[in-house]
Amino acid sequence: MPDFSPIYSLISLIPLDCLQMRFMQQALLGLLLLAPMASVLGVEVINFRMAFFSDAIGHSAFAGVALGLILAVPPRLAMPLFGVLVGFGIMAVRRNSDLSSDTVIGIVFSAVVAFGLAVVSRAEGVARDIQQFLYGDILTITPGEIGFLLLLFVALLVFQATGYNRLMYIALNPVMARVHGVRVALWQYAFAGLLALVVMFSVWAVGVLLVTAMLIVPAATARNLARSAGGMFWWALLVGTSSAFIGLTLSAQAWLATASGATIILVACCWFALSLVAARNSGRRRA
Amino acid sequence: MTNNAQSAPSLCFDRVSLSRGGNRILDNVCATAPGGGSTVLVGPNGAGKTTLLLCLIGQLAYEGTICVSGGERKPRTAYVPQTLSMDRSLPLRVAEFLALGRQRRPLWLGLRPSARSEARRLLRMVKAEHLEQSRMGDLSGGELRRVLLAAALAREPELLVLDEPAAGVDVRGERLFWELLDEARRAQGFTQIMVSHNLPLVAHYATHVVCLNKTVCAMGAPRATLISSTLMDLFGVPIHLYPDQCDPQDPGCPQCGAVGEGASLLPDYAAIKRREAARLAVMAATKDGCAVCPGESAPAGAASAESTRSSAETSPDGGSHA
Repeated sequence: MPDFSPIYSLISLIPLDCLQMRFMQQALLGLLLLAPMASVLGVEVINFRMAFFSDAIGHSAFAGVALGLILAVPPRLAMPLFGVLVGFGIMAVRRNSDLSSDTVIGIVFSAVVAFGLAVVSRAEGVARDIQQFLYGDILTITPGEIGFLLLLFVALLVFQATGYNRLMYIALNPVMARVHGVRVALWQYAFAGLLALVVMFSVWAVGVLLVTAMLIVPAATARNLARSAGGMFWWALLVGTSSAFIGLTLSAQAWLATASGATIILVACCWFALSLVAARNSGRRRA
Repeated sequence: MTNNAQSAPSLCFDRVSLSRGGNRILDNVCATAPGGGSTVLVGPNGAGKTTLLLCLIGQLAYEGTICVSGGERKPRTAYVPQTLSMDRSLPLRVAEFLALGRQRRPLWLGLRPSARSEARRLLRMVKAEHLEQSRMGDLSGGELRRVLLAAALAREPELLVLDEPAAGVDVRGERLFWELLDEARRAQGFTQIMVSHNLPLVAHYATHVVCLNKTVCAMGAPRATLISSTLMDLFGVPIHLYPDQCDPQDPGCPQCGAVGEGASLLPDYAAIKRREAARLAVMAATKDGCAVCPGESAPAGAASAESTRSSAETSPDGGSHA
């Protein structure tokens, strides 16, 4: 198990009372790993018009937990595994079927949610899991999970460094990308798998109701603020990470005492509102 | 810029068939595309033109064979799509788009100076140097198509595949696109195969035409292939690209010149005679017989095929494959 205590002591240097507690330090570290991943993947989610896809994966978390209950697998292992499977499944159907992709996703979406509900309606004592599934619970993150997030972070960094241009190419026109030497299927599946993992962890942080927001809002804000495709990446990163930090610390203030996930998304939405104003102004300049 | 004329592959479609959901989309298509030439697929909507291109680039599975001359190696291929799927809010610059397929460094670490100068060179080639810093979403239809052409030319292709690359572009823009394409093909020497609905431009720029309607109806040089009887079979409406191939028995409406059953009014033979005389005078004044563009030599295929309908039907490459 990696030792994160130097990072925690660094966090404790921030002059905020709420960040002196260990569980808050862990939550912040977890979020500072998760938010950049989600916001940068969000750029590609918007390019691919896959917001609904990530929503479906988020909802499959519930079915993952249910499946974990049946097979006696710990839910925190069953959830990401099942999410990746669903992601690959949707991608495969989408690539090989003439149905429009929102139809395919809608079908899978319904199937996984119904399955989760069916299992949970039989079992007892999963009310807490449902609560966590709906609203998220970043404050109970464990050091082991932070370690896993760190691995995922490194994997995603490599993925973004090698794949950013290629994914952009595929999003613009997959046939052209393939003829011009991009291995479209490989990148699409890798993207679906990584997205599924990040979505599963985001479900945990902000809950299924807000998971799409965690991906989409920073990236949409970045579209409004950035002047180039490269800049879009950095803006998404900045908006996502700063929203996570500000949202978490705000939610821990005694005068606010709100759910951290919801607060994070609200901060991000404020960013988006500001970016709309900025985009309108720059649009007026360009016109 | 290298000239690939030596290695430009020629294509041969041998009994290519494809069915989807019980529908025969391509039926025993036998066609060729000469190396270094400009081959254009012509036919009505739903004739399988785009499908044939997708078979060629390996996007669809098909029966039959498509052989590419020029060794075992697959030719370096580039593709120009009709359009891109993006919305106007995507802040992708033209220079960044051109770098997508060229530089390994992710765009978020910036463009390499070499990628920047390469983009400038490519944009000059398609007369779009002023667009380097524009957003892709802000381009007009014609500008976007030229940028797409630039992205394809960046690969220095041996085989260039274009799927209705200038559809929906205004007359001037489409003409410019074809002109740039023709220039690039002559300079780089690639084999070009494309789908187009603009018959006058096909007649002018193509060196080889394949008339396709699920199967090949006619094939050969434009002058010998795009004749009124073939076009009538293909599209079901009277089209005359070459005045001398008009049927004098059906002179058309004296007011608008339209030909067909609805226009079969009393013919004004004196007017037709005057028109014909004027046309012959213009033909005599220009050497290569192309009255549309004096000073520019007609494409090789068109010039070598001064054939009438009767000779087209008997010529080996102008005959019907049906």
